[in-house]
Amino acid sequence: MSQHHPDSLTLMEYSAGNLSEPLALCVRLHLDQCPYCRSRVDMLDSLGAVLMEHQPRVSLPEGSFEAILARLDQTPPASAPPPRPAPLQALLGRDLNQLPWKRQFGDISVLDITDRFPDQPDRVVLQKLAAGGKAPAHTHRGNETTLVLQGAFADQNGVFRQWDFVALDQHHEHTPVAVGCEDCITLSVLSAPVRLTGRFTRLLNPFIR
Amino acid sequence: MMDKTRSAPARVKERLVTTTDQNPTRTDSPRDPWGQLLENVGRHQDRAAYQALFEHFGPQIKYYAMANGLASHADELVQEVFVSIWRRSCLYDWRKAAASTWIFTIARNQRIDMLRKMRRTRVERSVATDDLWQIPGEYEDEPVTSLHRLMSEKRVRQSLSQLPEEQLTVIAKVYMENKSHQAVADELEIPLGTVKSRVRLALNKLKVILQDQDS
Ligand SMILES: [Zn+2]
Repeated sequence: MSQHHPDSLTLMEYSAGNLSEPLALCVRLHLDQCPYCRSRVDMLDSLGAVLMEHQPRVSLPEGSFEAILARLDQTPPASAPPPRPAPLQALLGRDLNQLPWKRQFGDISVLDITDRFPDQPDRVVLQKLAAGGKAPAHTHRGNETTLVLQGAFADQNGVFRQWDFVALDQHHEHTPVAVGCEDCITLSVLSAPVRLTGRFTRLLNPFIR
Repeated sequence: MMDKTRSAPARVKERLVTTTDQNPTRTDSPRDPWGQLLENVGRHQDRAAYQALFEHFGPQIKYYAMANGLASHADELVQEVFVSIWRRSCLYDWRKAAASTWIFTIARNQRIDMLRKMRRTRVERSVATDDLWQIPGEYEDEPVTSLHRLMSEKRVRQSLSQLPEEQLTVIAKVYMENKSHQAVADELEIPLGTVKSRVRLALNKLKVILQDQDS
């Protein structure tokens, strides 16, 4: 099981349905692999249900139920669960390693997929750090949420493996290194650009894991 | 209008009872009455049970829609939620989620879906709403946690009334008005840190959440 989880506040925003689509995707991908967080979200969903129950009730217009019944005749109940969703495949369509990666510098490749999430302000980037590769030291100007999709990386804060959930803000400075024999691929959602602290300061959009 | 003869044949019901009696968790966690109705809808297309659910949850969902800025689409949202409940009811398993929890997540997803459709621009969505927001218990079989889940709803219900008003206000805004923590802070004119600490206090008091690892 994953070692790094979203915090309660993030899960609450997820349960309430308030997260942006890319952040919801990060949480959902983590949940699919993490029974611990699934049970936390279940409890938060219960909180939502109980809060809804405590609100005032608003009566429905005459004939509402009949209108629904009329629609049911065209809506047979599902007889089996729909196939298990594979949101990542739906989004990327193929093997992670076969994507049209753009080499940035050194060991880092990136693929900006912000355009898959229209009508929202976050930047969404896939990043690949080659096995054994190292990214330059940097800090973060805004909030950044990262989910490890493949491989693992290590930095001053620990080791982050597949499906680990990492939230960073401007107080974190780090120098990620890909560990293990696989390339490390991450999905990052950025609310503001990264600020470099080392000699790469002039470069835009570096490995912002 | 609602005709009892439309509900499922008696022999199917008998078989259902036998099955559940054999379930060891049944005595530990009596199913809630809404869960029973929901299962009747799922297994027998029981329209009387469906109507009872509609009368109980419909007005709640309408308020939820109105609080979320969907006032002019509130009746439409209620309709979408109930069609979705009908369609998914056979996937509902009372051991995996309390009925009201399950219905809340369907209402949430339909609200998100409606807003996504209203905002839709040139680009096709690549990920479906239900693939982003999970409906509890649909793709898993975890008997160990299921009991825990049913208990959690009971516990939340019992302890919610003991929360201080200021904490309740904050979490109700997050859930019912779908305001982010930042938006709640702006509206109440209090720092974001205060909002977050009220939420954490509330969650701790509700024992909804185990201690965060990273905070
Ligand atoms: Zn987790």
